[in-house]
Amino acid sequence: MNVESILDSIQGSALAEWMRDTNPAMQIVESTHVLAAVLVLGTVLIADLRLLGLADPQRAFTHIGRETLPLTWAAFAVAVVTGSLMFTTSAQTYFGNTAFQLKALALLAAGLNMLLFQLLTARGIGAWDSGRPPPTARIAGVVSLLLWAAVVLLGRWIGFTKGYDFTIPPGVELVLPG
Amino acid sequence: MRAFAEWLYGTGPSAAIHSTLWLIRLLQATHLVTAGVAVGSGVMIALRALGWQRADEPFEAVWKRFAPWLAGSLAVMVATGIAQTISDPVREFTATSYWLKLTLLLGGVLGTWSLARAARRAPGANLSPAVKLIAAAVILCWLALPPLGRMIGYDLAIWGSLSLRE
Repeated sequence: MNVESILDSIQGSALAEWMRDTNPAMQIVESTHVLAAVLVLGTVLIADLRLLGLADPQRAFTHIGRETLPLTWAAFAVAVVTGSLMFTTSAQTYFGNTAFQLKALALLAAGLNMLLFQLLTARGIGAWDSGRPPPTARIAGVVSLLLWAAVVLLGRWIGFTKGYDFTIPPGVELVLPG
Repeated sequence: MRAFAEWLYGTGPSAAIHSTLWLIRLLQATHLVTAGVAVGSGVMIALRALGWQRADEPFEAVWKRFAPWLAGSLAVMVATGIAQTISDPVREFTATSYWLKLTLLLGGVLGTWSLARAARRAPGANLSPAVKLIAAAVILCWLALPPLGRMIGYDLAIWGSLSLRE
C-alpha cells in the first residue's frame, strides 16, 4: 500500500463523505479548529513568556506548567481531532500543499522542542523554578513561541493556497450540454 | 447598510487594501495570532475570578499580569479587524457572525472590566456568585470570538435564514 492509495482510502471513507456532504459539518469543524489552535497558542504563550522572563518572574515555572498544560493539551486534542476531520475531506490536496507540509514540520519541531525541554532542561528546574531561567530554557521558550505562532500562521496559509478539488467523484457521470 | 458597504468598498482606502493580496493575508494572519494572546489573557482573568486558576494569587496580581497583554493584543486585533472590514465591507456587514462577534467582543471587554471593578471593591475576599456568573459569561464571550471570525466566510451555511446575506 503506497501513500497515494492510503490518501485515496481516507478521502473515499464514509467519514470523509459525511464531512463533505453534511452542511454545515465542515464549517463547524473548521471554526472549532480555529478556536482550538488559538487556545493552544494562547496557553503555550503563558509558559513561554515565563521562560523568557517577560512575565510572571516570581511565579514558579512548575506552578505555571501545572495550571496551563491541561488547558493546552485539551485544546491540542480538539485541534488534532478537528484537523484530522478536515484532512479527510481532501486528503490528496492537503498532503500535496506546501503550507500543510510546513505546518506538519513545525508541529513536529514544536513537539521535539517540548520533549528536549522535558528531558534535558527541566531536569535542573529546582535551581531556577522561581528565578531567572537558564539560557537553554530561554532558548526553548523562544523556539516554542516561534514554532506555535508558525503553526497557526501556516494553518491560515493553507486556506489561502489549498484551492479546491474539482475532480469528479467516482460514480458521477458528467453530462455536457450539446 | 448594504448601500453604505458598497460605497465604502469603492473608496480609496478600501481599494488600496483589497487590491493588495499580501496585505489582506498579513492582516488576517496577524489578527489570528493576536487573537491567541487576547483570548488566552481574557480567559485567564475570568478563570481567576472563578477561582479555577491562580487561586493562590490575589485577583489584582493576575489582573496586572494579563491586562496589559489583553489590552495590547486587543488594540492590534481591532486595528487589523477595522482594516479587514474596510477592505471587504459588503462581506462583513452582511454576515450575522460579524455582528455577533462585535457584540460578544463588547461583552468580553465590558465583562472583564467589571470583574476588575468588583475585585477592587472587595480586595482579598471571595468574589460573589453574581460576579462568578459574569466571569463564566466572559469566558464564553472570549471563546466565541475566533470561531465567529471564521464563520463570517460561511455565514449562509451556518445561519441559514438567520444570515443577513442573501
